[in-house]
Amino acid sequence: MSEFDVIVVGAGPAGASAAIKLASAKANVLLVDRADPPGSKNVSGGVLWGDSLSQVAPDWEKGPVERYVEAKGVSFLTKDSRISIDFRSKKFGEYKSGYTVLRTKFDAWLAKKAKDSGAMVVSGVTIDKLSMKDGKAIGVEQAGETITADAVIIAEGANSRVAINSGIKKKPSDRHIALGIKEIIKLPEKTITERFGLSSAKMGFASEYVLGFLDGGVKAGGFLYTNKESVSIGAVISMGDLRNNNQTYSFNIIEQFKEHPFIAPLLEGGRVEEYSAHLVPEGGLAVNSIHGNGYMIAGDAAGFTFSNGLVLQGMNYAIVSGIVAADSFLQKKEKGIGAGANFSNYTDNLSKTFVLKDMKNFRGVDAVTWSNSIHQTIPAIAEEAMLNMFSESGEPKEHLAKILFKSLKERKESKKDLAMDLYRMMRRM
Amino acid sequence: MKIEDRLSLLNYKIDKSYEHITVNPSICETCPDHFCTFACPAKCYSLIDSKLNFKYEDCVECGTCDTACSHGSVAWTNTKGGHGVKYKFG
Repeated sequence: MSEFDVIVVGAGPAGASAAIKLASAKANVLLVDRADPPGSKNVSGGVLWGDSLSQVAPDWEKGPVERYVEAKGVSFLTKDSRISIDFRSKKFGEYKSGYTVLRTKFDAWLAKKAKDSGAMVVSGVTIDKLSMKDGKAIGVEQAGETITADAVIIAEGANSRVAINSGIKKKPSDRHIALGIKEIIKLPEKTITERFGLSSAKMGFASEYVLGFLDGGVKAGGFLYTNKESVSIGAVISMGDLRNNNQTYSFNIIEQFKEHPFIAPLLEGGRVEEYSAHLVPEGGLAVNSIHGNGYMIAGDAAGFTFSNGLVLQGMNYAIVSGIVAADSFLQKKEKGIGAGANFSNYTDNLSKTFVLKDMKNFRGVDAVTWSNSIHQTIPAIAEEAMLNMFSESGEPKEHLAKILFKSLKERKESKKDLAMDLYRMMRRM
Repeated sequence: MKIEDRLSLLNYKIDKSYEHITVNPSICETCPDHFCTFACPAKCYSLIDSKLNFKYEDCVECGTCDTACSHGSVAWTNTKGGHGVKYKFG
């Protein structure tokens, strides 16, 4: 007889959602987080897209959310220019966009929900690895002791030491992670609402950026999200590019972003309140299998993130995978299958959701999002085309196609590469 | 803003009895790239008189250095007992 039905490692959106679901179904569940209070080591951009959380926390929009995204931007930044899509729609009232959240507050609230649902929540305790017996997980090891459970849900995030220590995940390579660096900039609520042209203090702006101007050509994406009384600004840096460059400090990249002529005015008068860094899973599934005998892997630990350059998502994938993991345990339990069950039903169940469908359909999208075309060629050509179109030189005007072709001809990158990237973009984005 | 000033905004509960990351000085001595010094977002790795200096106290536990070091010098473990960085916002 195990001490717990399920031990959930990690109190982020995946782990807390799993714990709430399990505890609500009267399972005996332990949710354990290595931070104290739970969630105080968690970081994300962060916009929580969609409404998946309502399955376990119907009142979540009344929880500690910051602003509802009513304006969404995507921009290319070159040294001197910004080329943007700024999408605003009254229809965001009918469609679900997302809420900006601050994870320390938000995750503590979710962990409290888990506790109120009947889960045992323990914080400040570090799990070392799965406890294995005859090829099955029988619980977890903590400081040399085994805590037994019929199942373990690993939801420990992008830096997955339990999975690595248990031999079920490899140490990530440059291809499988990017480095996220973020700052919280304090600004008055009213200033944010006015500066970003928002319709009220409840409404927010979220934008992604391609940072095509960085020193040494290091590739990074940027993000800027409005909270109630602060702005979350950050950069997601390609590890491979940073390594090849080997002379740019990661912590200076976000400063270059903040100092850009079209970003600095948005932050004017703001004060840095917090600096943080976190890994971002990249390049699809992070493990060979998301299930095994007696365990399941959910959220960032499994590599469930989505990024196509226009939007960055992770928390919604985490939530759904956590809930499906919980459901998959309950399925086995109902059938009377006890400790160490093979949770292939988790993979099957998750295959029916957008989580694994997106993973499959968008495999290889990172080759596009980190391509030279996206980061250098397209912004440069677009900048030149715009300057040509929107300025008056007194010369006869040229057709757009000719302008584009001319500026492309002047670029040193191969046209073949651009054509290939455009083809990939059409197929994979 | 200097990285030192940004790090000074953070709260840490420092574990004086356990260094959760250790490096192998003999490997670092012959390292051709010292990529860790550029990758680590908390500037825990720096070159002092061309010798690698590592301090775990400023670590934000992201795990970057474990991937960054391709020479096998970094031994990375989680902090224990709720020690380490404690974010206010996250």
